[in-house]
Amino acid sequence: MDSERIEEYLEAIYKRQRTETPVSTSALAKDLAVSLPAITDMLRRLESEGLIEYVANKGAVLTTQGNERAVSVVRRHRLWERFLTDILGVKWDRVHHEACRLEHATSPETERKLASLLGNIDTCPHGYPIPDKNGNIKEQEVAPLSEFEPGQSACIETVAEETPHSLRDIDKLGLKPKTVVTVEKKNSDGSIELQTTGERRWLKKEVAALLLVKPVSAESKAAAVEEIAIAKLATGESGIVRSYTGGRGMLGRCLSMGFTPGSLVKMLKNFGSGPVLVKVHDTEVALGRGIAEKIVVTKNKAVC
Amino acid sequence: MLEKSTSIVVALAGPPNVGKSTVFNLLTGLSQHVGNWPGKTVEQKTGVLHHGNLTINFVDLPGTYSLTANSAEEQIARDYLVKENPDVVVTVLNAASLERNLYLVAELVELAPRLIIALNMTDVARQQGMQVDSQALESALNIPVIPMVANRNQGLSELVRMIERESTQPARTGDIRHIESDSEIKAVIDHVEGLLTDESIAPYPGHWAAMKLLEGDEQINKLVRQRLSQTQWATLEPFLKEHESAAVTIATLRFEWVERMVGTTQEKPPMGQVSLTERLDRAATHPILGLVILVAIMGIVFWLVYSVGVPIQRFLEVSLIERARELVYSALQSIPSWVPSFLGDGILSGVGTVLTFIPILFFFFLAWAILEDTGYMARVAFVTDRFMHLIGLHGKSVLPLILGFGCNVPAVMGTRIIESERARLLTVLLTPLIPCTGRMAVIAIIAAAFFGSQAILVSIGIVLFSLLMLVVSGLIMNRFVLSGERTALIMELPLYHSPNLRIIWLVTWQRIVAFVKRAGTIILIVSVVVWLLSSFPGGSIQESFIAQIGRWLEPLGKLMGLNWQLMVALLSSFVAKENTIATLGVLLGGRTAGLTQALKEMLVPASALAFLVVQVLFIPCAATVAVVHQETRSWRWTAFSIGFQLVLSFSMAILVFQIAKLTMLGI
Repeated sequence: MDSERIEEYLEAIYKRQRTETPVSTSALAKDLAVSLPAITDMLRRLESEGLIEYVANKGAVLTTQGNERAVSVVRRHRLWERFLTDILGVKWDRVHHEACRLEHATSPETERKLASLLGNIDTCPHGYPIPDKNGNIKEQEVAPLSEFEPGQSACIETVAEETPHSLRDIDKLGLKPKTVVTVEKKNSDGSIELQTTGERRWLKKEVAALLLVKPVSAESKAAAVEEIAIAKLATGESGIVRSYTGGRGMLGRCLSMGFTPGSLVKMLKNFGSGPVLVKVHDTEVALGRGIAEKIVVTKNKAVC
Repeated sequence: MLEKSTSIVVALAGPPNVGKSTVFNLLTGLSQHVGNWPGKTVEQKTGVLHHGNLTINFVDLPGTYSLTANSAEEQIARDYLVKENPDVVVTVLNAASLERNLYLVAELVELAPRLIIALNMTDVARQQGMQVDSQALESALNIPVIPMVANRNQGLSELVRMIERESTQPARTGDIRHIESDSEIKAVIDHVEGLLTDESIAPYPGHWAAMKLLEGDEQINKLVRQRLSQTQWATLEPFLKEHESAAVTIATLRFEWVERMVGTTQEKPPMGQVSLTERLDRAATHPILGLVILVAIMGIVFWLVYSVGVPIQRFLEVSLIERARELVYSALQSIPSWVPSFLGDGILSGVGTVLTFIPILFFFFLAWAILEDTGYMARVAFVTDRFMHLIGLHGKSVLPLILGFGCNVPAVMGTRIIESERARLLTVLLTPLIPCTGRMAVIAIIAAAFFGSQAILVSIGIVLFSLLMLVVSGLIMNRFVLSGERTALIMELPLYHSPNLRIIWLVTWQRIVAFVKRAGTIILIVSVVVWLLSSFPGGSIQESFIAQIGRWLEPLGKLMGLNWQLMVALLSSFVAKENTIATLGVLLGGRTAGLTQALKEMLVPASALAFLVVQVLFIPCAATVAVVHQETRSWRWTAFSIGFQLVLSFSMAILVFQIAKLTMLGI
């Protein structure tokens, strides 16, 4: 019996346990795409190894030992997903299956190196928390966006269903985790109109249900977006161009260099004095401090 | 049957940093002609390619991001398209920054009836993780797209075939879908177009002119104001004022159009991936490390120039120019003595000496072209911007100033890269304060004669002093002399790439030719004039006009401890800086060998120091003055430049001499 399959089972039980305990065999059969008898067989084995407690016809619960092992798999899985999106540039809708294979072949040393390469990232690309190296996990208190009323603001934490299709949709809408949104209108068909950093978005009901969010108070929402000059962006921060406060003389040049409203500007180098280096429309542009003080951008602050 | 050959005109348009010059150079090779655009100090390059029976005349338009008259370049590019109606326009784009580059295409479609996109640097794009589907782009834009890697010669023949095919196609004007067709701004643009008469904007298309007016284009605005009647203008002007924000809306629409075009055809790289350029830039753009790298690279360049270029220059001077003079004298013994003197002393030593400087300049230009082609020069502008700010300039001005250490002539010409008129003028005025190789040669000889083991220290001190004067002059001119708004740096930093040898060779060669043409002719004239002044009346320099001028200037010279011979030597540096030494040699009645001794007997160290100061700050050579006039297109500024340096050099020399006399140096 290979440990890979054991880990797959533990992982599936772990994920299910957040919503139901004990985890039913039928639910596992669905998640793992395996027949019911096969599941039952396997659960018996896991029980004999002391990884779960299994009650026939009711389901399975992880033991402390089983939980430890499951958390460790989850940690590896989510680290690999981060590696795949952030370092290799694989799209976030394609990383899950890849990570499923890599997680089992990861030695403790590789895991350590991976974690240090990624730095202090604590969620997977889809917003789920990555357990720390001691197995502690920060549980999130979230609700689907579809339950929110007009006027309420929320911060997107995770995406409930990690199917490639829904992930692609969400990516296109620019609603990845850590985005603050404000519900503007709920339509009769359950679709939602919302606002995010000044842009309006329209969401189908099904998509809104997939977005698990945390409510954000009005004050912190106001604080979530701030208007600042490009020169005030720290290295690594991004903002969206809003306006230009200088004379008309440089306006034309700024516009043709791509500093049009709505353009994303990423600060590559800001040493606090002297010129800054930004990325806008695929190219690196050097801006004298004087002009960087005159282009105003909105910046999303991490309030959630 | 003989087919009649046809000739077409193809304009190359495109933003900077897309490899447009590479495409142009490879297509036209050495057939190209470099000149100026009429009435402008912007370089115009044309060249010919024969392809079967087709003669293709290429015109390289200046690199521009847009076609709004933000700069002379942009004005030239669009005026050419509108007024000269080239048969085909090829726009070279960089596949690695397609989004930015297509902005220009959004403008070009309105002015270019037959357009081809040469999608260059597809290899760089691939390395960056950006895949561009050129066929999808072609069908989205409805414009032929040729993917290419110009500096590896890929795609050029396909481009030529496409030019041939397109040149026979009907013009596409008429079926352009304007970018604003679905937007609220359409009504505003239509309204402005309705207020314009055909005569008021000809030869520009009405719709295009309406957009430019709303974008705040000053040139079109002026044109329309002159041509419209007062009542017509009175209705148009307030409307434009009211819709001032349209400039932003139109630019935004263009980028939205670009996004629609790019969206389906381009795969973007992941965030967080660290490219080679980013890794190199971590060091090269760092405020401290970046400067260290800059100094190191410049150190290598100067070392190369002085260890390879200077010995060649010496060799040429001795074995070529001196020999030629001897030859002239011995061959022409039978005819009146002024003829060999004219040829030998007037022309050969003036022009010849300058020409021997070509090897030095060659290495300078070579290093320059390499640094430019790799993309490093933009980083130099970035790291030096903060310092240049102090004297009212921005980072781009550093590039010509550094070139000035080689020779002030190409440096003054190199100020063309600066868009703002004010910053350009200031850079032109400051460039002559950079000690060029000619001045350095004089400094080295004089310092060695007087200061022995400390000669190096004195030389470095003089150079630093000269740079200090540059900063002080910059501060003064920026504050009191020049008016107008200071402009800030806004410049693309291109991706680094390995240099293309053929391009580097071509660029170096063209610059050498340009230098010889410009400097050569001016120096020939001035050499003749100075020869006349120093040979008449009487035939010997001691009794000549120039000696009389020198004696007349002696009271001024006394203030800085200089006798009339040194004043004459200083004046003769106007021909070429290194002439100072030769003139002293003649005046002190011997060849250069005995010069050291003669100088030592004649001067106290305080005078020598004052002489170094006055000579390094003195008015630049005639060739530099000529290009200052050519680039400023103003006698007033040329006169100002000369006057400023006269005052500066004399007052500083007097100051240095008086102080030195009071301290130990005077003893």
